[in-house]
Amino acid sequence: MAQIDTPGAAFREGFVEVDGFRIRYMEAGDGPPLVMLHGAGGFSLTRGHDLLSRQFRVIAFEMPGFGQSAENTRTRDVPELARTLAAAAANLGLDRYDLLGISFGGTTALWLALQQPECVRGLVLAAPAAIGWAGRPGAGSPEEMARRLYAHPERMPLPPAIDPAVQAKQQAFVARVRGPERDADLEAQMRALPVATLVLFGTLDRVIPPEMGRHYKELIPNGHLVFVYDAGHAIAVERPEAFADVVGDFLERHEAFVIRRTETLIHP
Amino acid sequence: MKVSYFETGRYVAPPDLPRQWPVPSGAYDPETGAEACRHMIERVRLVEELGFDWVSVSEHHYSPRILTPSPVVSAAFLAAQSTKIKIALLGPLVPVGNPIRIAEELAMLDAMAPGRFVFGLLRGTTNEYLSYDLNPKEARERTDEGMELILTAWREPQPFGWQGRYFQYRTVSIWPHPQRPLPPTYALGTSAEAGEFAARHKIGLGVSYGTFEVMGKSTAYYRERCVHYGWQPGPDQIVYRANMILAETDDKADEMLANRDKQAPFPVAPGLRDALLRADTTRNIAGERRPANVGGVLPISFCGGPDRVVEQLRRCRDEIGAGVVDLSLADPGTGDVGAMMHALELFGTKVLPRIRDI
Repeated sequence: MAQIDTPGAAFREGFVEVDGFRIRYMEAGDGPPLVMLHGAGGFSLTRGHDLLSRQFRVIAFEMPGFGQSAENTRTRDVPELARTLAAAAANLGLDRYDLLGISFGGTTALWLALQQPECVRGLVLAAPAAIGWAGRPGAGSPEEMARRLYAHPERMPLPPAIDPAVQAKQQAFVARVRGPERDADLEAQMRALPVATLVLFGTLDRVIPPEMGRHYKELIPNGHLVFVYDAGHAIAVERPEAFADVVGDFLERHEAFVIRRTETLIHP
Repeated sequence: MKVSYFETGRYVAPPDLPRQWPVPSGAYDPETGAEACRHMIERVRLVEELGFDWVSVSEHHYSPRILTPSPVVSAAFLAAQSTKIKIALLGPLVPVGNPIRIAEELAMLDAMAPGRFVFGLLRGTTNEYLSYDLNPKEARERTDEGMELILTAWREPQPFGWQGRYFQYRTVSIWPHPQRPLPPTYALGTSAEAGEFAARHKIGLGVSYGTFEVMGKSTAYYRERCVHYGWQPGPDQIVYRANMILAETDDKADEMLANRDKQAPFPVAPGLRDALLRADTTRNIAGERRPANVGGVLPISFCGGPDRVVEQLRRCRDEIGAGVVDLSLADPGTGDVGAMMHALELFGTKVLPRIRDI
């Protein structure tokens, strides 16, 4: 039995058939549906997922070509991957949901929101890779991954080792579909994105410079940029409380999340 | 070598003034206070004329020892009363303040008199936390985060939010925005954290009051971390703040040192001092633990006639690597202002011309 503090212990596994793919997902929680998309390093559940599942019905997809799924040689690019995932959400009966993408999953989520804005209530891009991602897709030993993903690897448990064959498969897939470092077509479309969008960057992100955040803020009409202090690329792992707090608040209140609700009264 | 004069707003305290910190506000005499401020103008003009590079101001609270609780107000006042000397804010106490406010006020100064200011950001001594009710255990982390936030507010061209540990803002977009490149900016402190922060952000480091050997450890750590981040600081990027006793001769200076008051002018009560020392446990020099400072007597780093002081400054440059010294020529809160003016003139005429090539 999973320990109570194992991230994702409360999540249940499910599968959905779409576009000829059998897509795995993990689900937990009640409340408004929140679809989550993982990064190039592969599917994982974090303390951030756990905390968000207290407020949302979290549905975290494993994108086709990741984990134990078959090698994905069919999906041509990220826009197509986004269409597949939108169809997967529709097959689960979700017609309107919040959407959160992490890193490469952020690029995918952004494309999904551009393609089907009517389905996306609010969008969160955590350390998104859609602009200025010059590095190679996530792969390496647990020690290498920890140094790359975390601001303070010395404070964090090592990420789980990934089967080298799975890693190679995922890496090849991402390298094939990821798109250019700056995608003029994508950026032009972002200027008309009608979905309230929150972009998060850790101040010590070593994979994608946090300075990339300003481009999203500039391009997306109802876009909001928040820096998560002292977090690296894996914000939801390294600062889960800070991550879940701002995500939950934004998805609940959209642009009104800038209005402070917590009180400072000490004694009545 | 560049030289800064540390301006403390000298309030000449009558002998019957209560001597314990916090000093009762009711004992403040407006006439004496106004005179202290007038003398600030005289001194800034004097040191500017003597060729000092900077005049520095600091933030201290609740006593006449240093009469400048707001370095921003002091800096604006001094800048308006002088023409070319740089005003160094060394500096706002970050953990007790609102970092956005600090970022805005410093940027405002920079807009009002571009090129006239130098900015230092610091944690401050432990007793200062009592002033604004800060838990000493949180001071280190609030400083690190606050400094990061200030630099981000200065750098970011788009509105942003901040999801911190100690600070949370959902909308930050300061006006004015400081000039590019940033005015000379320093992290002030001897700790490994200050050195690391300064190195990572490619800003200067300011250390204070310790011996050359000990401060040299701190600046060596900073330089080591700069190499790690792929750059090397120039001489102007290391500042050393210290006390100096300067007289016409070595003997006279030694006599002044021997007669120096051995007690801090306005100390905190012993019980409170001990409690503060117990509460503040994260002080270090380049990672080596050291006790907190709660307003005790600060050492004299330079003492002598002009020749000896020049030699000491040369050693300071060699051992600490400091290209800027920030000097107090009489203990704040003590002594007579006339004697200090004389020491400033002596420094400006007999020492300053001889240390430019150090």
